[in-house]
Amino acid sequence: MTAKIFSLFVLNVFTANFILFRFLGMCPFIGVSRRKHPAFFMSLAVIFVMVFSSIITWALYNYILLPNGLEYMRTVSFILVIASAVQMIDMVMLKTMPALHRTLGIYLPLITTNCAVLGVTVLNIDMFVKDGKAVSGGFLFSVLQGLFAGLGFMVAMMIMSGIRERLDVIDLPRPFRGIPIAFIVAALLSLSFMGFNGL
Amino acid sequence: MFVMSSSPHIRDRETIPTIMWWVFISLLPAAGVAVWVFGIRALYLMLSCVGAAVATEFIIQYLTKRKITALDGSAAVTGLLLAFNVSAGLPLWMAILGSVFAIAVGKQVFGGIGRNIFNPALVGRAFLMASFPAAMTRFFINQNGALVSQATPLNILKEGSAAPLVGYKTLFIGNYPGCIGETSVLALLIGAMILLWRGYISLRIPLSYIVTVALMTWVFGGSNGLFSGDWLFHILSGGLMLGAWFMATDMVTSPITRKGQIAFGIGCGLITSIIRLWGGYPEGVSYSILMMNALVPYLDNIFKPRKLGERR
Amino acid sequence: MKSLVAEFYKGIFKENPILVLALGLCPTLAVSTSLQNALGMGLSATFVLICSNILISMFKRFIPSRVRIPSYIVIIATFVTIVELVMEAYLPSLYKQLGIFVPLIVVNCIILGRAEAFASKNGVFASFLDGLGMGIGFTFTLSIIGLIREVLGAGKIWGYPVSLDFVPVLVFALPPGALLVLGLMLAIKQAGDKR
Repeated sequence: MTAKIFSLFVLNVFTANFILFRFLGMCPFIGVSRRKHPAFFMSLAVIFVMVFSSIITWALYNYILLPNGLEYMRTVSFILVIASAVQMIDMVMLKTMPALHRTLGIYLPLITTNCAVLGVTVLNIDMFVKDGKAVSGGFLFSVLQGLFAGLGFMVAMMIMSGIRERLDVIDLPRPFRGIPIAFIVAALLSLSFMGFNGL
Repeated sequence: MFVMSSSPHIRDRETIPTIMWWVFISLLPAAGVAVWVFGIRALYLMLSCVGAAVATEFIIQYLTKRKITALDGSAAVTGLLLAFNVSAGLPLWMAILGSVFAIAVGKQVFGGIGRNIFNPALVGRAFLMASFPAAMTRFFINQNGALVSQATPLNILKEGSAAPLVGYKTLFIGNYPGCIGETSVLALLIGAMILLWRGYISLRIPLSYIVTVALMTWVFGGSNGLFSGDWLFHILSGGLMLGAWFMATDMVTSPITRKGQIAFGIGCGLITSIIRLWGGYPEGVSYSILMMNALVPYLDNIFKPRKLGERR
Repeated sequence: MKSLVAEFYKGIFKENPILVLALGLCPTLAVSTSLQNALGMGLSATFVLICSNILISMFKRFIPSRVRIPSYIVIIATFVTIVELVMEAYLPSLYKQLGIFVPLIVVNCIILGRAEAFASKNGVFASFLDGLGMGIGFTFTLSIIGLIREVLGAGKIWGYPVSLDFVPVLVFALPPGALLVLGLMLAIKQAGDKR
């Protein structure tokens, strides 16, 4: 069990990092990684939404869709649940934690259509539901995968924003300024993270 | 009579070419051992990599109409370091491709010397490892002028086979299979002395790196429980000496503050040990330095000197 | 009439979704390992894009603006589900190759982006042409990346070996290669922009 959780951690944070290897969540990665501060709060919001969505989509799939033979409704129902969950988090946060809402709030709407969130929920089902039956510990693994995937997102975002802040003060060759250099750096990061293969 | 110029006004006599060519010279003892251990093939590899690196730098600078500094020694050092990081049996065209990649994507994309985030030679090596995993991990030993395939000591350790490990003396001299420039601890230490004497590197990164690896492998590396690992074997084998003295200390891609450098060395040591002890690859020096390169902006920031009276 | 033609062309070059707008990057990187996968993803996304554009432009009067985004998502998700079911039934090997990126067409920002920026403000036929142009632009760019990565990374074109003694540069078939090829293509595009 511990070994499985550890390997899930390494997988999601490093060797199959959502951004660098699975390519989920590229748009916010490229768009919001220019500065450390927003990158951090965006990642925090993503972790929050990923864990929350993992919990409710797991329940939705295993207790409502599966028993009623509605598996084909997965995509439609998941995206709706995620969208409304984000909306709800937004409202609850506004009422109860206005300070946090001021920093995270602007990123929440962006997350609705962040493919990393839908990606992690679909991946949970693909990995932890076999032949129409949840594997043992599936719920725990799903929630943890939500958490670790979010952490992996944060790791990539933070490293990237640190590097991009430094590149800002460098006179880069014109063709590479902005988005192209972000991709090249991501490629080199992805190359170096391959060192953890097999851990 | 009076010349107006912007600061800095006080300049050191050291220029980039002097520094870089001294670094190149400091690598020559290891290059010599490489030819002695692996034969003429090692020389061909080094010449191809250095040639390709300098040529790539020249062509890119010529085409983009920038100042041509291809002969300042930095490209030559990158090429030589990359050659040091490959097996004696690697086809020359692969080595050349790695060299081109190292200079083009590892360095020139960022605008050339002093601006790159990652060590270019290691970028080249990581590219080759991902592209040609079989050719990059088949190692050789020279027997009567012919290259014979043989596993490296770290490989033997990783697979846990019963084959005898080479002794400390062999590891120190360097007559065993491995990447061509990494095997001789003796030759690398002679080179390191030159760099220390010239004042181009300090002991902070290499020592904190090597000590961390020694500690980690001593504590966790043994088969008889904790504190039973063969730490001396771990620090003498693989690319640790080459990485710690010549690649982790690269001025451009390592932290500028003292504390930052020590943290950098410790980080490299931790990642190297984790990969060696628990990872899929037998050796993790190059990956660990690349990963720590990526964290340098943070290390510089955390350990930035504070102004008098400034709060955290 | 001329403006309608322009609606069609703009997606292919001037407003190419991948290279100019930097949208739809996740599938671009993930499924461009071969020409076949790239074409499969491109055509699926184009189908969804055209259908959702048409439907949204038809119903734009009836969708209250406050719930427009969820409504668009439901419409898009419906077509994605159709693609999913059809592909699973008739092209099972492609479905397996593309994996979770088939359901993820829902969150492909190109589709929602066009719904919001174009179909909700324009007529049915213009929206159809816009969807078609954007879809072709997306498919074309994706296929080029797929072709480059397949040739360099696997030494094949459409699954057939290029040459018997070509040694593939494996990195191009791996995730870092995807980031690298896209980064270099964007750089080439940026270099070609007016100076």
